[in-house]
Amino acid sequence: MKEKTVSVDTDLHPYFRIYSAGNFGEVAPQRLSPMSWSLVGDPMERGTRKLAQRLWGRPAWTEGSHYVFVGYFGCRPYHNLAAYCHLSRGIPGLSANDVTDAYFEGIDSPAEITALRSGRTRRLSAATRLLRELRDIGPRLRALEERVAELEWALRAATTANSPIALFSVLRDAKPVLEEAWAVHILTTSGCVPIRALQQRVYGRLARHGDEIAHWLTRPRELVWDRLHTAAATMDPFGPGDFLDSSFYEVADSSDPWQDYAVRHKLAANSGTQAAVAPIEPSEALAGMLSPWRSRTVRSLAVAVGEVMAGREHSKSLAMRTLHIYRRLLPELAGSLGVDPGHWPYLTIREFTDLATDPGLAARALPRIAACRVALGTPMPEHLDLSDGDGTIRPWLSESPQTHRGVAPGIGVGVAMTPDGELPDEPVVIVCSSADADIAPLLPFAEGVLSERGSDLSHIAILAREYGIPCVVGYPGAASLPAGTAVSINGSTGEVNILDQS
Amino acid sequence: MNVLILGGSGYLGAAVAQACAASGAEVRVLSRSGRAIAGEAVRGDIRMPRLGLPARELARVREETTHVVLCFGSVSWTSGPGEALETHSSGMRSVLTFLRGLPALRQAVHVSSLLALGRAQGRVTNRELYTGQRFRNWYEYGKYCAERHVRDSQQDLPIGIVRFGPVLGPDPRGGRPDTEHGLPKVFPHLLAGYPVHLASRGDFPCWVTDVTSAADLVWKALSAPIGRSTWTWFDPARPTLGEVFTEVCRPWGVVPKIVEARPLGRFTRFIGERVGTPRELADYAEPWFDLDPGVLDDIPGPWPVPEADYLAATGRALLGRAEREIGV
Ligand SMILES: NC(=O)c1ccc[n+]([C@@H]2O[C@H](COP(=O)([O-])OP(=O)(O)OC[C@H]3O[C@@H](n4cnc5c(N)ncnc54)[C@H](OP(=O)(O)O)[C@@H]3O)[C@@H](O)[C@H]2O)c1
Repeated sequence: MKEKTVSVDTDLHPYFRIYSAGNFGEVAPQRLSPMSWSLVGDPMERGTRKLAQRLWGRPAWTEGSHYVFVGYFGCRPYHNLAAYCHLSRGIPGLSANDVTDAYFEGIDSPAEITALRSGRTRRLSAATRLLRELRDIGPRLRALEERVAELEWALRAATTANSPIALFSVLRDAKPVLEEAWAVHILTTSGCVPIRALQQRVYGRLARHGDEIAHWLTRPRELVWDRLHTAAATMDPFGPGDFLDSSFYEVADSSDPWQDYAVRHKLAANSGTQAAVAPIEPSEALAGMLSPWRSRTVRSLAVAVGEVMAGREHSKSLAMRTLHIYRRLLPELAGSLGVDPGHWPYLTIREFTDLATDPGLAARALPRIAACRVALGTPMPEHLDLSDGDGTIRPWLSESPQTHRGVAPGIGVGVAMTPDGELPDEPVVIVCSSADADIAPLLPFAEGVLSERGSDLSHIAILAREYGIPCVVGYPGAASLPAGTAVSINGSTGEVNILDQS
Repeated sequence: MNVLILGGSGYLGAAVAQACAASGAEVRVLSRSGRAIAGEAVRGDIRMPRLGLPARELARVREETTHVVLCFGSVSWTSGPGEALETHSSGMRSVLTFLRGLPALRQAVHVSSLLALGRAQGRVTNRELYTGQRFRNWYEYGKYCAERHVRDSQQDLPIGIVRFGPVLGPDPRGGRPDTEHGLPKVFPHLLAGYPVHLASRGDFPCWVTDVTSAADLVWKALSAPIGRSTWTWFDPARPTLGEVFTEVCRPWGVVPKIVEARPLGRFTRFIGERVGTPRELADYAEPWFDLDPGVLDDIPGPWPVPEADYLAATGRALLGRAEREIGV
């Protein structure tokens, strides 16, 4: 007799069935609790659907009761690689490889489903609409940041007053904020790809060495992380920087078993003082090499791309700050709603909110606990091929060999150092398996970053560019290089040289 | 004295190696190809940690080196930002880090270029590096970055700077002079009888010097020693660009076709590019910058003397190869 098991997995998309952990895999915990999934995957799905609908009308494939753009299998969050690749084909001049290079470590893209291809006019109008939306992200982010700050204040007030009712209203108010944060994040993340492709093409026309120049010039200015790390230094538990000490995506990172998967981010002290005279930037140097209008075009495009990248980082920080509010609210409220402290990570946020009126929902946690235990015992591949639909887990294998790639230009020479190592006196190259904004405070002291995971538009790539240091990703074994090994990386070509000590 | 010459297998580096060896210094030459016409050759790469030297070699270099000359990287006016910056900017920074680890280091000399001044505004001397100038190409910007890094490290390193304009004269390594890079790239064009467009028909200084006096000056900077100063060296006779072209072409019996280009900036350049002035030169067709000739006085005497007739010798060196090729 076979017992019917409850599964926490999401339903498969009818035809897009190649998934990849992608940027999730790089920085998010390996596994997410059902609660965190409902705060991350769910709003991402809704945000992407809405974006797709605004850009292309209502394509049938973006509708339905199943998830289209994300998936949750074996408690691991995935992006639907096939669906994202399909999106890229809806913008003129963009190919699926632009997407996989940007966010999925350059793996092969799944075959196109030509029947779903959109017409030329529709593609052009989608591109125009996307650009229009990107133009407005500045004010949208500022408004959103205000709302996040208000939530943080409200949480402080409610916690100080120890009032469950006030806490509950914070919970209610947080929902639209979280959705907006993910929506802007999706918009900027998607927008980076075509706008960069456009940049490459225009540069190729206007300037000698156009492709190289794009790499050297596109430096997002003033990423939000500096400001947040400074705020974190005040140690205010309700301040905007407090989340930096958390695991970002996992809200149940203090309860078992999720804390085992929580990537604890490190708060490094920010000890300022920098170089004496800053040399002038390559973007300024370029001015003399081109005619004024070319130079203006090249520079404004670089600024535009930089802005979108900065917007992406900003929106991410806002999503993480809102998640941090949930991280503090949920355990507090669980008690007053009569949920077992170990059970709330197994509910979804909707169930949790509805508990007030329907306490019976708490019972849903129990079967899921068992299901999650089984799921966590099953290894989940980085890239997932579920095209058979028979429930077998097969990895999606890339035919083209993976090579390390330079994602921020320049040469970096130094000794290897892991992000939690001690800063030696010599110049260092940070080596890590994957990196997120948590290493931002280390970057001013580093000559380069060498990472096992990452793509052209990974957070680490964007950060490295902002600091003007080279970065190479996709280098297996980077994190296990012994501290002190001499390393040289070329962020333009992806070349890596390890000098043996003998 | 034990001199390590980074890039000592190159055109200028080879001459420096010869000059040092001739004056009795022990010479070690580092380059990727590991060739040397004077001194001991070692293979290395300045873009790598510890210059990419194997441990044993490294220990010897660390122990013995007392003097270093930095003259690596080629003079390619057409290279892209990647190539120019990886050698002249990032490479320079790792070299400077390496120098900090040399316990016996007494003096280092960085071979800079006057072109690091780009289209500098106003009168420039040894003091100026950045005057808000615009750069013509990534080589200029690369050399600017290199000198910027060197200046920043003068607080803790005994490193001086020697600036040259274009260096001409027969290749000390023998053979036909390199006409792939820099100013010499126009020579084949001129010799073939094509016109070049120059403002005032090239009647402006171009600060050239010959490779032997340049190498002697580097030796002087090591042995004087230069300390943390900056010296600028050029042929004190100060031939104009037009004269340089005329002299180089003389052994061929060719009179270079120098066409007056009206100072119409971009337009001139556009015309120049259309009618065949090589790209390398198009940006240098107008007076370069206003260098104070008094900068020479910062160099303690006696000054090196450029070889008589080095411009014509450059032309002859080009001819030598051609004669051989034609079979004369
Ligand atoms: N020639 C001029 O008119 C002039 C004027 C002013 C200043 N300078 C400066 O003088 C320097 C040399 O000029 P040059 O005309 O002699 O150029 P060159 O003939 O091209 O020589 C360049 C030298 O640098 C070496 N090199 C290049 N990349 C290297 C690397 N990554 N690691 C180690 N060695 C490397 C080359 O050897 P491998 O290729 O074997 O490595 C070669 O020995 C340059 O910095 C230039 O800016 C030249």
